[in-house]
Amino acid sequence: MRSAGLWSSALALIAALLLPWYLVQDGIGVLSYADGGWLTDPDGAPAPGLILAEGRWWLWPAVLAPVLGLAAALLPLSRPARSWLFLAAGGLGLGLLAAQGWSIGPRGWMAPWLEAAFGETELRQYGIGWGGTVVSCALCVLLAAGLAGRGAFRGDAFTATVAVVLTVSILVFTALPIAQMMAGAFRDMSGAFAPSSAVTRLMDDRLWGLGCLAGAPRCGVVWNTLLLALLTAAGTTALGLAFALLVTRGRLRYPAPLRWMTVLPIVTPPFILGLGLILIFGRSGLLSQAASAWFGIELGRWIYGLPGLLLAQLFAFTPIAFLVLIGVVEGLSPTLEEASQTLRADERATFRTITLPLLLPGLANAFLLGFVESIADFGNAVVLGGSFNVLATEIFFAVVGAQADAGRAASLSLVLLVLTLVVFFLQQRLTARKSYVSISGKGDAGLPPPLPRGVRRLCLIVAGTWTALTVGLYLLAFLGGFVEVWGRDYTPTLRHFVKAFSIEGGQFTGLAWNSVLTTLELAAISAPITAVLGILAAWLFSRTRFAGKGMLEFATLLSFAVPGTVIGVAYLAAFNLPPLELAGTGAIIVACFVFRNLPVGLRSGMAAMAQIDGSLDEASHTLGGGGLDAFRRVVLPLLRPAIVAGLTYSFVRAMTTVSAVIFLVTAETELATVFIVNRIINGDYGLAISTSLALIVLMLAVLGVMNLAVGRRRIGRRAAAAATPVAAAPVPGAIA
Amino acid sequence: MLSRHFFTLAATVAATLTLGALPAAAQGSLNVYCSAQVEWCQAAANAFAKETGIRVNMSQKGSGEVLAQIRAEAQNPRGDVWYGGTGDPHLQMAEDKLSAVYRSPMLDQLHDWARKQAEQSGYRTVGIYAGAMGFGYNPELLGKRNIAAPACWKDLLDARFKGEIQMANPQSSGTAYVMIATMVQLMGEDQAFDYLKGLHRNVNAYPRSGTGPIKSVARGETGVSISFVHDAVTERLGGFPVQYVVPCEGTGYEIGSMSIVAGARNERNAKRFYDWALSPAAQQIGAEAKSFQTPSNRNTPIPAEAPKMDQIKLIDYDFAKYGSSDERRRLIERWDREVNSLPR
Amino acid sequence: MSRAAEVRFENVIKRYPGSSAVAVNNVSFTIPAGTLCTLLGPSGCGKTTTLRMIAGLEYPSEGRVLIGGKDVSALPPAERDVSMVFQSYALFPHMNVLENVGYGLTISRQPKARVREAARAALASVGLSGFEERLPSELSGGQQQRVAVARALVLEPAVLLFDEPLSNLDARLRRKMREEIRDLQQRLGVTVAYVTHDQAEALAISDKVIVMNQAVIAQEGTPRDLYESPASDFVAGFVGEANRLPATLSHREGAMARVTIGSATLSLPHRGAAEGAVRLAVRPEAVSLLDATDPSAVLRGKVAKAAYLGGLMEYTLATEAGEVFVIDPETSRPRGVGEEVGLSLGQRGVAVLPA
Repeated sequence: MRSAGLWSSALALIAALLLPWYLVQDGIGVLSYADGGWLTDPDGAPAPGLILAEGRWWLWPAVLAPVLGLAAALLPLSRPARSWLFLAAGGLGLGLLAAQGWSIGPRGWMAPWLEAAFGETELRQYGIGWGGTVVSCALCVLLAAGLAGRGAFRGDAFTATVAVVLTVSILVFTALPIAQMMAGAFRDMSGAFAPSSAVTRLMDDRLWGLGCLAGAPRCGVVWNTLLLALLTAAGTTALGLAFALLVTRGRLRYPAPLRWMTVLPIVTPPFILGLGLILIFGRSGLLSQAASAWFGIELGRWIYGLPGLLLAQLFAFTPIAFLVLIGVVEGLSPTLEEASQTLRADERATFRTITLPLLLPGLANAFLLGFVESIADFGNAVVLGGSFNVLATEIFFAVVGAQADAGRAASLSLVLLVLTLVVFFLQQRLTARKSYVSISGKGDAGLPPPLPRGVRRLCLIVAGTWTALTVGLYLLAFLGGFVEVWGRDYTPTLRHFVKAFSIEGGQFTGLAWNSVLTTLELAAISAPITAVLGILAAWLFSRTRFAGKGMLEFATLLSFAVPGTVIGVAYLAAFNLPPLELAGTGAIIVACFVFRNLPVGLRSGMAAMAQIDGSLDEASHTLGGGGLDAFRRVVLPLLRPAIVAGLTYSFVRAMTTVSAVIFLVTAETELATVFIVNRIINGDYGLAISTSLALIVLMLAVLGVMNLAVGRRRIGRRAAAAATPVAAAPVPGAIA
Repeated sequence: MLSRHFFTLAATVAATLTLGALPAAAQGSLNVYCSAQVEWCQAAANAFAKETGIRVNMSQKGSGEVLAQIRAEAQNPRGDVWYGGTGDPHLQMAEDKLSAVYRSPMLDQLHDWARKQAEQSGYRTVGIYAGAMGFGYNPELLGKRNIAAPACWKDLLDARFKGEIQMANPQSSGTAYVMIATMVQLMGEDQAFDYLKGLHRNVNAYPRSGTGPIKSVARGETGVSISFVHDAVTERLGGFPVQYVVPCEGTGYEIGSMSIVAGARNERNAKRFYDWALSPAAQQIGAEAKSFQTPSNRNTPIPAEAPKMDQIKLIDYDFAKYGSSDERRRLIERWDREVNSLPR
Repeated sequence: MSRAAEVRFENVIKRYPGSSAVAVNNVSFTIPAGTLCTLLGPSGCGKTTTLRMIAGLEYPSEGRVLIGGKDVSALPPAERDVSMVFQSYALFPHMNVLENVGYGLTISRQPKARVREAARAALASVGLSGFEERLPSELSGGQQQRVAVARALVLEPAVLLFDEPLSNLDARLRRKMREEIRDLQQRLGVTVAYVTHDQAEALAISDKVIVMNQAVIAQEGTPRDLYESPASDFVAGFVGEANRLPATLSHREGAMARVTIGSATLSLPHRGAAEGAVRLAVRPEAVSLLDATDPSAVLRGKVAKAAYLGGLMEYTLATEAGEVFVIDPETSRPRGVGEEVGLSLGQRGVAVLPA
């Protein structure tokens, strides 16, 4: 506790004294460091320079709070007294800095009442830079050290730091933008506060109409969304389970290709799946043409609407269910199933009465994720939705459409959020009372039983069909990258690849280079942050009790539930203004990636944590380990599959997200997905597909490397010991 | 071990990213939001940068997205100029005072319709190109089904087009709204809605995006689309079997526009770009990038492939009335209530 | 080991948030330095919570916990100089035996050579040399248990905690392990707090036993105190077997009183009971069986059940004072079911239960 306070105060002080407080427009590389000129440069000065040279006295907390913390850490004080000082230095420092930041903005006072109270001001403040950021973060740690000293979080500074940092970042990067956006639901068209308009919008027949049951052409968009989400969630959970069982217990001769197959859709940039489906099932698609040529049957436009959308979502989201479920299936303790078999239950009965119930929390998780993914999905809905409207597209078009009704968008987002909320609580209730600890401190043994034959056959049929469809889909979609014009001129060519990725004289002259490299860079930054934060959050939520934990956990899920477009607009509105002026930088995209993908890391971490006996952490504590040791040496190694899942998923999502970032990218931070979407909109499928292909190959390569780096969990099952050479080989499926 | 490794990597990359942002060139920089075709945007940005030495950051997005972004950034604008995109959102931007007033010295060289656009908006926006509304069709598909191509608006009501027509959804697409406004101005409001109800029986889908229908035509998903004729030219040059028709009764048109963002950080450069973009040299770039709208400067040469605006029977489109938010909302809501809710 | 420390609870109360029940209610006790003290009680009595509060895995809602005279109520486990052996052993499944045992030293950044050396020594002290490279899953239950003990010992803690360490072992191994634990404690002179629900285990190894029931301490004392002078009906029944028989108390004189049961009158410590009807706790081995006609019998009854246990006989008798359970070392002449017998009471193993 004392050491945490010491180093955080020291770091804060150094940052306050040396780093530029404000954001430097052209990068901090332009400041004059050699002659010390930056110390008083009005744009690039650290806090003391601004205080002394510019008279910005309200920045004093940036210097004084760290000094107070440092004094408290170094003086011989009692533990309670020191804790109080840490708490005061961290809390007051943060509070005062935040207050000044949100008071004085780029156009003077930030709120009308401030102007009314103090009169007009000539002062201008832009966003905080490295100095402000590092000082604020360090003060968070100081605050946490104080809390730990007061006995919160079992007196452990690491746990407290995780809790404080997580709370602050969730508040800033999820709750704040979404709350700001939601407030829009209670404003009328002119921006005035009008709760009645929210009521009108929420009661709209376009949301809740049930006309389609009575023969009208359409139902309310909420019902559409719900129907699709339920079907998708059920479908993806079932498919994911089939794959997970088959891969772990199916005794397959070649399980690896199957694993890779499930990964493919997840590394596919959006719209490509939809495009592929249209190329096969569309009115002029291969299947439809074949049907009309051979059988004279007109298949028509069925792909546009619920069937096509469901198909696309099943392709897109089954891998997520698979990722969640494989961790759970692998973590099942075989002794329980062996016990059941000794109790005269045959394979089938064991599967039904033991295996499946034990998988329930995992299934519920997978279902929740599938549901939430489905209602938030934008890419597929916009390509294949046809006249079948769902909330995500309604919101998008309410924002960017001809009507530009932000209030309606906010109301629809509100409905979406409530839906998510309901599912969340249902899932909580379902799984809260049933915690299945399968990995206990007692080393367990035993072999997982093979699947009952009927189940295995079912799984094989389902997975086989799915695999065949996927292969066909991808082959066709990617052939498009190697022909002149798909659907017209099938002359083979590499022209599109040359156009996208040509290199002339050491210069990247291809059209796609810039966006692909930017994407790679931002994804590589955000993925480890997401994975680490997700695992930390999972650990915190499952191992500690603190007030407001449930709220925090829910807030973490929020950004996942809200459709990307809404998040994008909300981020832009929230982070366009000082002190958190992130718009236009890569940082806002990284933040968006991290907090949007955090819930998946969190969920898979939670599912894995539920199977690790809490006494393992406690054992570490009583052996003198702090929270950091317990986390690093005990939990982390046991959570490798979950970590790989988190890393993989967040990296891939970062590489393939489009709707959330379409408002956030600038010329300098253009992402590959946005590039691809624009190509598709322009009808340049060849270039779009060749860029997508390059992205996919890139992602698979990175995934393979990641997989090797993290390795497999060492848990000492007897089978693993017996089959060491096989298990040690890089199993690609450990991407799971 | 692993996480430490990744942090090192992340920190390195982050540092490169931040420090790598080079100081702007002496001429300063300019942030352009562009809603024209991406090749056009890129070519225009390069040409302007080459000519002036100003660093141009160009970001290509649909007009609805740009307007949403400009609204969100209103307190602290990031963009300087919005270049291209259909005129209505530019007019809305002017209506909300999100664009700056600027009278370019180039105004005199422009076609009347472009100047009128500027006058109606109080010089907050200006026309840079125009494109007529019409039909695109797939001759192969229609030929296979023995359907004669349409020539006039009234043809589209014919039973032979049952399930073969696509138009965009006016709730999301400016293109579709231009079509509705055109019909209202051509026939009078009630008759226009009777026409739309009749048309509804033949429409197979209302895609969200304005260019969606013509792409469906190109891919053979539908026989006929209601769209801008220059988009049909673009598809045809992409190698697809697409033809266009301009309706015999006359038709409406869009004015692709340009606006300077109010409170732009690089206002001086923005004005320079504005003037440059209205010059014939700059307006030629569109055709070079395979976009065949009609340029607004009278002196810009018109490429052979482009639809000839002077041969098209254009209605006297009232952009002031039909560009206002209230009229727009009223018409779209009426369409949703009276047309979109009907069974087919 | 001179570092052994005293553990002291002062009016400790533990409530869990969101629950109205009190897990530990106003408990105070002292575990003298260098002794082995058992926390004994039925499940749910609060004994494990108490142990976890010593460890620092739970914090008291009120009251203080002192270790070696220092208030540790708000200190995390790592700062308390305690180690714990868990019921499930909590061996880290991804580390081998040596890594598990050396964990605590590794954490405190000891040099690697020293960690290995100390871990090997600790393993040797529990008789597990040669198992260093195994994973926990490759050990038997008893071996896992020893690893857990070695892991706790290697830090030479001032206080060693055991949470039902033997509950997963078979009876024979349990007896062996409890002897080893007691030996170890004696040899090292460390303070041990030991949670169990097995009274025989508690009696066998403890210097002191604290019996808990329903979140409070029912009685504390040496095993002999508890067995011979149970403070309540509950303790008498929970610690060892006891027949509870009605009797009459008269003539209190000093600490002693006259107690009449059946036709016999005994002189017993009254332990605060008032004159009049009382209950006697009578241990099975304090009852001697006589022939039915023996005049020295104080009670008479019939054999209801009889069991031959090799070294002794167990009888359940139906008497006028109720059912009486008897252990008889005389096995050469077993009594049959239905046989009339007489009973006499010895001086030891009979106690007046205080009111």
